[in-house]
Amino acid sequence: MKIRSDILRTYQSIHTWTGITTGLVLFIAFFAGSLTMFKPQIEQWATPPSQQLAPISSTQRDNLINQAISQYDKAADGFIVNFDGQSSPLTWYEKGGGRGFRLDDSLRHATLDDNGVIVTHISSTNELGQLIDQLHRTAGIIGKLGHEDIGVLVLGIAAGLYFLALISGVIVLLPTLVKNLFALRSHKGASRFWLDSHNLVGVLSLPFHLIIAWTAMVFAFHDPFYGGLSLVYGDKPLFEPRERGLIEYSVEELPSIETYIEQVSKLADGYQIRNMEFSKLSSTSPSLAVELVAVGQMMRGGYSDFIYLQPYTLKVNYSTINQPEDGIYGPVVNSLFALHFGNYAGGLGRWIYFSLGLLGAFLFYSGNLLWLEKRRQKQALQTRSSRVMSSLTIGVCLGSILGVVGAMLATKWLYLISEQINSYYLSGYYVLFFVAIAYSFARGAALAAIHLLKLLSLGCLLIPVSSLLTLIMPGLMPWTPADFNAGLIESMALLFSLLFYLAAKKAQHRAYYGERNSIWALEPHASKQPLKCQEHSSQQLGKLS
Amino acid sequence: MNPLTRAQKIQPHWWRKSLIAIVFGLTLTYGIVATFAWFGPGGIDAVMKVQFNMWLISLIWLPILAFSFLFKTAARALMYMLSANAVIYLLFICLWCLQ
Repeated sequence: MKIRSDILRTYQSIHTWTGITTGLVLFIAFFAGSLTMFKPQIEQWATPPSQQLAPISSTQRDNLINQAISQYDKAADGFIVNFDGQSSPLTWYEKGGGRGFRLDDSLRHATLDDNGVIVTHISSTNELGQLIDQLHRTAGIIGKLGHEDIGVLVLGIAAGLYFLALISGVIVLLPTLVKNLFALRSHKGASRFWLDSHNLVGVLSLPFHLIIAWTAMVFAFHDPFYGGLSLVYGDKPLFEPRERGLIEYSVEELPSIETYIEQVSKLADGYQIRNMEFSKLSSTSPSLAVELVAVGQMMRGGYSDFIYLQPYTLKVNYSTINQPEDGIYGPVVNSLFALHFGNYAGGLGRWIYFSLGLLGAFLFYSGNLLWLEKRRQKQALQTRSSRVMSSLTIGVCLGSILGVVGAMLATKWLYLISEQINSYYLSGYYVLFFVAIAYSFARGAALAAIHLLKLLSLGCLLIPVSSLLTLIMPGLMPWTPADFNAGLIESMALLFSLLFYLAAKKAQHRAYYGERNSIWALEPHASKQPLKCQEHSSQQLGKLS
Repeated sequence: MNPLTRAQKIQPHWWRKSLIAIVFGLTLTYGIVATFAWFGPGGIDAVMKVQFNMWLISLIWLPILAFSFLFKTAARALMYMLSANAVIYLLFICLWCLQ
């Protein structure tokens, strides 16, 4: 396909500028977003199983609730009935709870003993999954503007620019698309290989990226967009105001759990109840949120759908499950959420989204590398802008991964010192992230890349090693992970340890034996004197690229 | 294809084109969404249409941003954008009066 050269040049500039300004934050968002595919599994993996109390039979639920609300004031305000078998049968927040995220929530778990008497204990919640999600939504940028995170707004703008980068990237590629799409030319030098793989990944995952760019922008700016829409709607209210209750109910009047199950199953055929969260029970605005899961359905939330009820009258206030009266627009809107969350195709779908997310991160990383290659000078010392950009790319990208790996690795050890470990996650992440950036600037990107990759490899390796220690030395740590999901996280850590090691080897080879006039070249050690012929041939390769 | 003369080529005009697309692209977008909201399928009261309309905004605005750099100059971009705005808002007013 032929395209005028001035159009190509225009869109080449747009692609370069939008890409280089957003690549780093988008890298973090994509890499962390990949992990959020398995947020419930990560959270479960990081929570000591000793916190969970024994399950009870479904006929005993009302008995447990009655004992809890009569003996505990906090439970009388609100509680959560868990149906999934992985959590304690009944829990409520002694501190915290509700929406938003805090690091110091404390949760009381309750069950019944053999005589049917309530047993409880208090634990802190583990927020590792939530923190990774927060990293995904904000790229780790701290601060609030009004009630919105600054990081979310920054990523919203980045998502818009990333949409431009996608469109411009495709336009630039169109003339050579058919000929070169599947050409991965590794013999024409490193920069050609990076360009080919950048293009291949970009084109093949284009639908995913367009969806993510669009939905991410909507997630960030829905408030201002609705603000504009209210002008369009004039006197019409955008949303029906919620009816305010006048009657104050008392918690003793609550119907049995079986009543709710019947009511919900009418509305959500084929769904399984994960939990029921009752709140503000002794007020004029009591609420019940029923969390529901269906495999292979598009779900409005990341991992589930919700039905909100008035717990005393059973009136449905809001449901995210498509109802016949939602018309054509309801299902479309719900599916847009599902398309971002990747929750509609079960476990396989999550793995696909996980891979697409990591490939997305690769897209931004390789984009930055291409920017550097394009600006390469035929001299040993590269320009200042190249040095800064390479240090930032290595420091930010590898640093953010290192922060998360560090947090995951620290989990089981931290529980030895403290019950309350969430704030350690946060400080640990930022220390590792900023140290990595500082190191990258201090030692240069070439050396920092090798060292950080090796450190990442080691960190990933130590995750399964830590778990292995808990198996062979019982009593060393408060739990022994044995279930399938936990094993899976450990295997993935092992796999990534290997990948990081191989990447470190590659980076090392390029540094000492690759082109001399490169930002990635290092002065050879006395002991690692490169062979003359290798240097010669690599210089020839450099000329070709 | 004959080589283009300088006058025929796209002029960059980055800042002006971007600004025009951001501001008048957004008003154009809201014009389209408003027309759809009131006169599209289901009318203004259709269930959950508010949310759908909100989603439409960025779906229309982003491509306008992406393709507005095809205008040869900033002046042309401004002219076409304003014309498109005028057309959509006139259409809206006509439909409003007709209903």
